[in-house]
Amino acid sequence: MLYVAIKKTFSHFQLDVNFTIHKGVIGILGPSGCGKSLTLQSIAGLQQPDEGIIQLYDRLFFHSDKRLHVPARYRNVGYMFQHYALFPHLTVYENIAFGLKKWPRKQVQHTVMNMIENVGLKGYENHYPHQLSGGQQQRVALARTLVTKPSILLLDEPFSALDHHTKQVMEQQFFSYLQQHFSGIVLFVTHHLEEAYRLCDELILYDRGRVIQQGKKECVFHEPDNVQAAKIVGCKNIFPCTVVEKGDEVIGYVNGAQLIVPAHKKKSGATYVGIHSHHIRFVDDAICNAFPFRIIRVASHVYTYDVTIQTDHFILQASVSEEQWRHMHNKKVYLPPEHLFFLREGG
Amino acid sequence: MEAVNLFPLFLSLKVATIATVCALVVGLPISYYLSRSNDKISDILDSLFTLPIVLPPTVLGYYLLVLLGRSSPIGRWLEEAFGILIVFTPTGAVVAAFVVALPFFVKTARAAFASIDEQLLNAARVLGRSEWDIFFTVVIPLSWRSIASATTLVFARALGDFGTTLMVAGSIPNETMTMPIAIYDALLAGDKKMANILVLIMTVVSIALLYTMKRLEKRMIRGENDAVRRH
Repeated sequence: MLYVAIKKTFSHFQLDVNFTIHKGVIGILGPSGCGKSLTLQSIAGLQQPDEGIIQLYDRLFFHSDKRLHVPARYRNVGYMFQHYALFPHLTVYENIAFGLKKWPRKQVQHTVMNMIENVGLKGYENHYPHQLSGGQQQRVALARTLVTKPSILLLDEPFSALDHHTKQVMEQQFFSYLQQHFSGIVLFVTHHLEEAYRLCDELILYDRGRVIQQGKKECVFHEPDNVQAAKIVGCKNIFPCTVVEKGDEVIGYVNGAQLIVPAHKKKSGATYVGIHSHHIRFVDDAICNAFPFRIIRVASHVYTYDVTIQTDHFILQASVSEEQWRHMHNKKVYLPPEHLFFLREGG
Repeated sequence: MEAVNLFPLFLSLKVATIATVCALVVGLPISYYLSRSNDKISDILDSLFTLPIVLPPTVLGYYLLVLLGRSSPIGRWLEEAFGILIVFTPTGAVVAAFVVALPFFVKTARAAFASIDEQLLNAARVLGRSEWDIFFTVVIPLSWRSIASATTLVFARALGDFGTTLMVAGSIPNETMTMPIAIYDALLAGDKKMANILVLIMTVVSIALLYTMKRLEKRMIRGENDAVRRH
């Protein structure tokens, strides 16, 4: 269990977050400069919050009222830095053994060599970091952290330094390795949507130093709670609306257009309605939520098209496949009720 | 031809060596502190440590006389407690060389320390190392090259100091007369031949020293590269 409730004020920025994590891989997702890394650094003891509490299982790391701030070196926290922060003047072996200073020498040698073999770097123990590929460096960083048997693992954008091709392979290897060798909480910071979705069980969304939503990743992605959260999970269609209840349906009026939403999606205080661009369909006709349209802009990607669509009432961003693209003309744009969601303002 | 008195040369080398060691011991922690903090105090300290570069040597010498002379509290305390005299002694020459040369060390070392990625230090902290330990296992190994060249610079500057040393230590032959002062003295006395010889010695010694340092540094770099290549 990790409990974080901290505040820290800078001249142009304020971090004010509060969350509890129980187990699994948890992602902190948010735009750069929203306080994600600062949170990790506070947990590790590299930054001291102005006030609040940080507690990991039964250990208090920080408690402003008790004037308690455990220095980083006593926290036994595993931290993987964005660019790995390997010591350039030390070999792979020396890097991995760096955190085992107080161990007996024989045991260090045995443990480190075991670790090197585990992460598939046998034969590289006398190499220096600059002689390794990005993926190998990442494995050294992971080994250096795990060898100290940390009680929590903090990952700061662990894949951002890898190129696109090796990234996906590395992700898979990395997390399957983690599952085998680490059972504690993994807190994983990223600004990359898809990475967060692929790798995490639970998500915490950050915006301007605050937590705006926390939950299972499916919930957070498919049903964001508020406008900021929707933007962070990549929703491009967000409209202000007036909500009217009618039997077992809820109607959202957007600029005069009527959008029907299932009643269970009703949300108190909602003033916006949203839909993901990949959920937009094209049909000949439908009972509701279908509108004639014209295309104003098309951006083609490798396998999909991003189409900007204008109806009489609003402008939509739709992401369509090649197949859909060929058949969408002379049809109506359809916003499936099950994919619409209401949003609260702000976050 | 009378034998050339080599006392000034040996005194100069001795003074410069001691001043350099002092600059290392004092300069390393100060430079590290300055490189890692960004507050007002560090700015004030930084200006203070740069001052000796800007001030005329005579002004610097005057300050040292006022501060450490027998009539000053510090000077009196040093004399009464330890029997140390600063003014017009070789110790004074060391103090003068030290004060003149220290800024050069602090400037170079500070820049070297500041260029070390903070994340490396953070990584070491998270891995359980103390600040003291990090200084010797991460900071120094990553910046020793700059520290080596800073040390050379300090030694060269200490070896060549004239004005401040003259003010503080005077020019007592065979006692406080360093090489630069001996050259001035010879010229003043119209002994051009002597001056020429001393200048020549000074030049040769300086070149030899700098060359040796350079070679040493190069060999160490090569050794490092070899160590890398062997694997």
